[in-house]
Amino acid sequence: MCDLTNRNIYLPHLVTVADMIDETPDVRTLRLVFQDEQLREKFTFRAGQFAEYSSFGAGEATFCIASSPTHAGYIECCFRSVGRVTEELRRLEVGDTMGVRGPYGNSFPLEEFYGKNLVFVAGGIALPPLRTLIWNCLDLRERFGDITIVYGARTESDLVYKRELAEWQERGDVRLVKTVDPGGNGPHWDGQVGFVPTILGEAAPAAENSIALVCGPPIMIKFTLPVLETLGFSDDQVYTTLENRMKCGLGKCGRCNVGNVYVCKDGPVFTARQVKGMPMEF
Amino acid sequence: MQTYISHHNFHTLLDTLITGGIRVVAPRLTAGTLLYAPLGESGDMVLDQLPRRSAKEAFFPVCEDILSYEKGGQQVRLTDVEPATFPVTVLVGVRPCDAAAIPVLDAVFSWDYKDEFFLERRRKTTVIGIACTTADDACFCTAVGLSPAETKGSDLFLTPVADGGYLCDICSEKGEALVADGSSLFTELGNVTPLPFASPAVPAFDLKKVKGWLDGHFEDPLWDGTALRCVGCGACAFVCPACHCFDIVDEGTEKSGKRRKSWDACGFWKFTHHASGHNPRDKQPKRYRNRIMHKFKYYDDKFGQTLCTGCGRCVRICPVGIDIAAIVAEIDGMAVE
Repeated sequence: MCDLTNRNIYLPHLVTVADMIDETPDVRTLRLVFQDEQLREKFTFRAGQFAEYSSFGAGEATFCIASSPTHAGYIECCFRSVGRVTEELRRLEVGDTMGVRGPYGNSFPLEEFYGKNLVFVAGGIALPPLRTLIWNCLDLRERFGDITIVYGARTESDLVYKRELAEWQERGDVRLVKTVDPGGNGPHWDGQVGFVPTILGEAAPAAENSIALVCGPPIMIKFTLPVLETLGFSDDQVYTTLENRMKCGLGKCGRCNVGNVYVCKDGPVFTARQVKGMPMEF
Repeated sequence: MQTYISHHNFHTLLDTLITGGIRVVAPRLTAGTLLYAPLGESGDMVLDQLPRRSAKEAFFPVCEDILSYEKGGQQVRLTDVEPATFPVTVLVGVRPCDAAAIPVLDAVFSWDYKDEFFLERRRKTTVIGIACTTADDACFCTAVGLSPAETKGSDLFLTPVADGGYLCDICSEKGEALVADGSSLFTELGNVTPLPFASPAVPAFDLKKVKGWLDGHFEDPLWDGTALRCVGCGACAFVCPACHCFDIVDEGTEKSGKRRKSWDACGFWKFTHHASGHNPRDKQPKRYRNRIMHKFKYYDDKFGQTLCTGCGRCVRICPVGIDIAAIVAEIDGMAVE
């Protein structure tokens, strides 16, 4: 949890970039190791939580912690370079120093999922918030029923964690359904072609004793929720994460609210029932 | 408990504090604008007008350093800002609308994670409030349940008396300590005549009723009807005693610089703009709706308080004449009990 002995709540921990992987031409994963040895041992988080990542001189950006809590010793973030901070984070090289504040926010209620089938539904760069949970569950595989992963992107090149998709595809204990939007497939594409909600409908995972975890652009979520409903999922069986713009991550700076809900404190993980009760402000 | 201080003794008190090394902040002309700013001597204090910006900046500055960074090779060295170095301060001449907003802000800066930048200044600051004997037509403290004689947020509260002196209400231990330290300057209440309090003209809102309407009207023609003209300048938030949204930005070079916490405003389009290009509040009326909702519903939902003290500054400064008091009055009129 957070380091409460540190009185300046805005002061980041220093981390070293230990590794970097280009997921797509503009999406990069950074593997980060805390420079403070004690913190390296002490830092814990739960799947679904996020952090503020610093490039000193540029500022902070908010991403989920994309690695699994079961993988100790480092954390990973995954981001697309679209602004000042992410452009600067992209310029970092292995061995360089950056900052991390966190972990913040709530998390997936993993223990409530024990004994259930899990259906992960993700689109584009929204796989990282689920990838942390996917590995968390795969590392505790015997505690869960069937695991289905429906993941799509616009094109083959836009799929993130390609090596892990291959690994999941190889495993006998995971059903991976990968898809690209029509026109996004190359000549050797071995997955589906179609939008995520449609492909999810065709894959038709059973709703009984199941939990669906959905992450993607607002438009994907909008069309995915009715498909899940048709498949028989109730709003309490469906979880998603909201990704509103944040600065402090601490419930102070006032920008991530959806109605009276502070995404940074009350979220980012919500059930579909909770999301449907919110005003359209995300 | 009540006591009295003459005009002359009040100035002596402040000058004694200043020469004793205490930072005294009061309304003072700064580059032609009346702002709450540190005094060099008590004579610089201006008490007959409401400062342009509110007193919140004594606790939550417009822009403040939260750390500094220095890079060397692949390493970064961070230097923390130590709130213990913040000066002991007496904040003087604070209008009831400004003083009442301070404890309202305590809620957001102290719930869950503690913002010591705000809280340490709170601990170290004694607030001397002053009653209003005049009001203009933008003042509406009485409409939000406060008054020109409201002592909320003040440690010591002054009521001007006809002879130029002040009736002093001691409202807290800090106020008591201040009076004890300058005890020779305070005298017993004589036969003094307090000046009559101001009486703002805006009728009282039924804040429960207003919140009840807001609970059910996130979507409503009112928002387009009142805020399409908003130009998104953010001035309303920057003069507000209760607005507390902020940004965190790095200012410096690639090699060294500071990270700062700076006031921000929900009226700015970029405030909620996602990296993807999506913006949940993509139109000005949605941003203005958030302003009203935050003040009269969300803050109440979360902390049981209203985030508006009726100072009227946003009404006076708005370049397109948006009047929050008129909007809330309209909502009050529409609300069904």
